[in-house]
Order: sequence, then structure tokens, then C-alpha cells
Amino acid sequence: MNLAISAVQYVEEIKNGNISVEEFVTKTLERIENVEKNLHAYISVNKNALEEAKQIDKKIKSKEKVGSLLGMPISIKDNICVKGMKTTCASKLLEDFVAPYDATTISRLKSEGAIVMGKTNLDEFAMGLTTEFSYFGPSRNPWNTSYVPGGSSGGSAVSVSANECIASLGSDTGGSVRNPASFCSVVGLKPTYGLVSRYGLVSYANSMEQIGPITKTVEDTAFLLNTISGFDPFDNTTIESERIDYRKNLDAGVEGKRIGVVSEMTGEGLDSAVAKASRRAISKFQELGAECTEISLDFVKYAVATYYVIAVTEAGSNLARYDNIRYGFDFDVEGYEFNAYIKKVRKNFGPELTRRMILGAFTPSAGYAGKYFLKALNVKNKIRSQVKQAFKKVDFLIAPTVPVLPFKLGEKIDDPLALYLLDINTIIANLSGIPAISVPYEIVNGLPVGIQLFADSMQERALLQAAYAIEQTTNLPGVPM
Amino acid sequence: MVKREEIAHAADLIKIDLEEHEKYFEQVEKILSYFDILNKANIESEDLVTQVLPIEKLREDKYIVYGEKLIEKLKNYKGTFIEAPKMI
Repeated sequence: MNLAISAVQYVEEIKNGNISVEEFVTKTLERIENVEKNLHAYISVNKNALEEAKQIDKKIKSKEKVGSLLGMPISIKDNICVKGMKTTCASKLLEDFVAPYDATTISRLKSEGAIVMGKTNLDEFAMGLTTEFSYFGPSRNPWNTSYVPGGSSGGSAVSVSANECIASLGSDTGGSVRNPASFCSVVGLKPTYGLVSRYGLVSYANSMEQIGPITKTVEDTAFLLNTISGFDPFDNTTIESERIDYRKNLDAGVEGKRIGVVSEMTGEGLDSAVAKASRRAISKFQELGAECTEISLDFVKYAVATYYVIAVTEAGSNLARYDNIRYGFDFDVEGYEFNAYIKKVRKNFGPELTRRMILGAFTPSAGYAGKYFLKALNVKNKIRSQVKQAFKKVDFLIAPTVPVLPFKLGEKIDDPLALYLLDINTIIANLSGIPAISVPYEIVNGLPVGIQLFADSMQERALLQAAYAIEQTTNLPGVPM
Repeated sequence: MVKREEIAHAADLIKIDLEEHEKYFEQVEKILSYFDILNKANIESEDLVTQVLPIEKLREDKYIVYGEKLIEKLKNYKGTFIEAPKMI
């Protein structure tokens, strides 16, 4: 049985009766068993998956309603709550936390008949872009296991790329869906802020994060977006809008569309292989009938500083809630002075969290708030207005997803600033709330390169059409394991 | 340049113990000095422009009894209590 099928193909196979859900889930579990010791995509695997598969097969046989996903095995980043399963955020502080409820995205997937295969690895509390900051150890890139899979949704991208599930949900605060999608040669979408409910997503930087699908094809992303998007009374930042079928007219093409090539994201600092791939993608779009012009967003040079000041400030506040009393690791029952107790608890945060907590205390503090946090909010507004201006001239913006090729584990772990700078091409979407998608474009020396497209807010449909158009011009090999 | 004592003070405010973590000082200093690039960003007004979005459809602010289900998975859970370390 071929596990490397897309979500759309899976549904066809089940509908035609070529395979049963039970067969597919059994094979997927075997695959997980075989590759996990090398990849470590999952933190936990759903023990009831097979039972759930049998139930869905029964319903299909008796012609009961099962929803459009028909028992599709989907993995979920371990910072999204799934009822009755551990949600650890890859942190020691939540290692035994069992979620008492489903996130809205999860209840929507389940109501369409999805099976949660397991919870995937991430950088602790989604802070990082290599998955090396997981308390449970790093995930590895299935294209070459000496290399990082990207992050923070590294486990999700690995599980899709290595056929340990059909599709996955990740979260994207500064590129955490798109970066690992690019590094693992899968599709990753960061939706418009407010298109997908964040209810049940463990907060890191609330003003910028969104849950997004990671899939094998652009059409699969459209398929999942149909299920998870839309207004949610439990998340007041979700937008009320007309229901759109994102799969409809996906092949509309890009003839006559205007694409802006962002100078600040395609010039200096790009790895030459990535630069070449992105130039080829741009010419391909021209061949398809799009008009590509250079466009400058000069405030992009402040984007990394702006993003990190805002992210650490929000993180410092969000992480302050973890007191290790209701869940977490065991503590001696001896008496503690309150501050000493909290300090002792916080010693168990990993290195990246510790750094961001200190920075997050500093940037909004008296005497420095004006220089850092408030200034960053103003620059963010400026970035947002430059992006809005750009979309008056063009339909899409284009840039490589990550300025470099995947790198080796351990290579950049001791230089946090160097890692932050790699976010330069993805964070604009989070700072301005617009949607962005990473599409696999080339394999260079055995390592994947993704190309990224941005569209204006709520223009997911057009964005997916453009992504689909470029995807159809590629013919990439399958994962080599 | 931010002084080391100021970083230590911020760490103390957010209750991070820095005693064993000399390298964090260096890394945080380096990151903060990178953030200084924001000084060069030319913003027309220093006033913060905020956008106020009215939210009309709020959920009803109603107390819902969740019951035992919410707490049954907590550690050191006894009856309706949670056992916590002794604080003084």
C-alpha cells in the first residue's frame, strides 16, 4: 500500500473501497514504528487510532455520515489541545498535562471524520526554528537525518514529509509552519490573522500567531482550510466572513496577475542555491503569464528586531502562568518562599525560553518600553502600511521561504541571534496579519528549497491558486526513506 | 549599551535565576544591541497609533459548571483540592 498519497487521493481510495481506514491506519502505525527512531517527529502517538479507524469503517459500511475526511490520519503539533491526550508544548513544565478539551480546529477536524494520529514535536512552546529546543530532543530531517527539519512545527512537517500521516496542523507565529515546510519539501500555509480559531492553541505571542495546515499538496491545504477556517465564538479575534470553498477553481492560473519580487528578501544574505531557485521560480511565473516586478519594502530591514521585541514581550507575559502546581514535574513538599519557589520552577525552562523570558521582562520595562516595545509597535504599524501599499500595485509578493538551505543539527544552536535573522523572510506575514504559503520548489544537493508567496488579507483563495499554478510546474522526487 | 545590572534586574523581576548562566548575559546583551537598530527607523510620530475594533458579538458572560472533568487529570489531586508545595 502506498502511504505517500495526498489527502485528496486518500479520500478517493476510501470512497472507491480500494482500501479501508483500518488498513491505512495500520500501515501508518507500522511506518511510524519503523522510522521514528531516526526522525522523532512524534512526542506521543494516539493509542486509540486503530479503534477509531475500525469505528469509521463500520460507519462507512452502514452508510452513516462520516464527514469529508473519512478517517484521514492527521498529526497535530503538541501545542494544540486534543481532549484526553497529552499537550506538552515540548516543555518539562507541561510534560504530564492532559488537555481536558479539544481546540476548535480539532473539534472541526474530528467532526469531519479525521483521526488524530499523534502529537508532534516542536521547539519548547514553539520558540525556535530548528526543533532543537524541544525538551524531548530534536526531530530530524527525513531528506537527510544529519540536518534540522526547521521549526518550530518541525515534527509536523517531518510526519507529513516522511508519510507518517496524511497531513498535519502546526502553528505559525513568525514562520513556524512555513519554515519546516520549506526544509522538509511539503506545503505550509500561515492563514490571515483571524481566519482560523486559536481557541485551544497554547499562547506564545497572541497578536501574531495562527494555526495552519502542513500538507503534501496545495490542494490538500485548500481541503484542510475548508474544514478549519471560519468564525469561532470562543476566539473573538476570528473574522466573520462568507464561507469559501478554497478547492473551487484552484486551477485558475496566474495569467495577468502582478507579482512583486521583494528586493529586501531576495538580495543580500541569500544562499546562492536559494537565490538561483527563487530566480527560476520567478521566471516560471512569467512563463505562466504573470507580470513580475521588483518591489521595495524598506522597513523589512527592521522586521526581525520588531518581531522579536513584540514576541518576547508577549511571551514573557504568557509564560508567567506556569507555576508547576496543577501539572508539571513533582516537587518536594518542603516550605518555600514564594519568589524562590517560582525561580526554582523556572530553572526548568530550556535555554531559549530563559533568554526570551529575560528579554521579555526587559523590553516593556520602565525606562525601556519607549525605546523597545512601543517603538516596535510603531514600526509594526509602518510595516503593515507599507505592505498594504504594495498590494495596491501587485496581487502577490514572492520571496524564498528561508534565506538558506537546511543546515546540520547543532550548527547554529549557540548563536540565537543568527537563528533569529533567518526569520527575515517569513515574519512580515505575522507582523502585518496577511496570509503566506510555502511551496516545495527544488531539491538542491538532496536538500529541499521552498518558495513563498504572500497575498493581501483574506485573499487565501487567490493565494492558493497561485501556489497551485507554480506547484504544477514542479516534478519533485519523493522522500528518500 | 545596556548595563549588566539592568539585565540582572529584569531577570530578577521575571524570577529567572541567573547565577549559573553567565552566557545568557552575553547573548541577551548581543540581542538587545541588535534591537537598537529600531532607533534608526524613522517613524513620523512617536505616538502609538492603535486601532480599536468594536466587538459586537460577545459570548454571554455566564458561569458554566465544568465539574470534575476539568480537574481529574491534574497531579496531586485530592478530593476537591490540589496539593501544592508549602509556601511561606
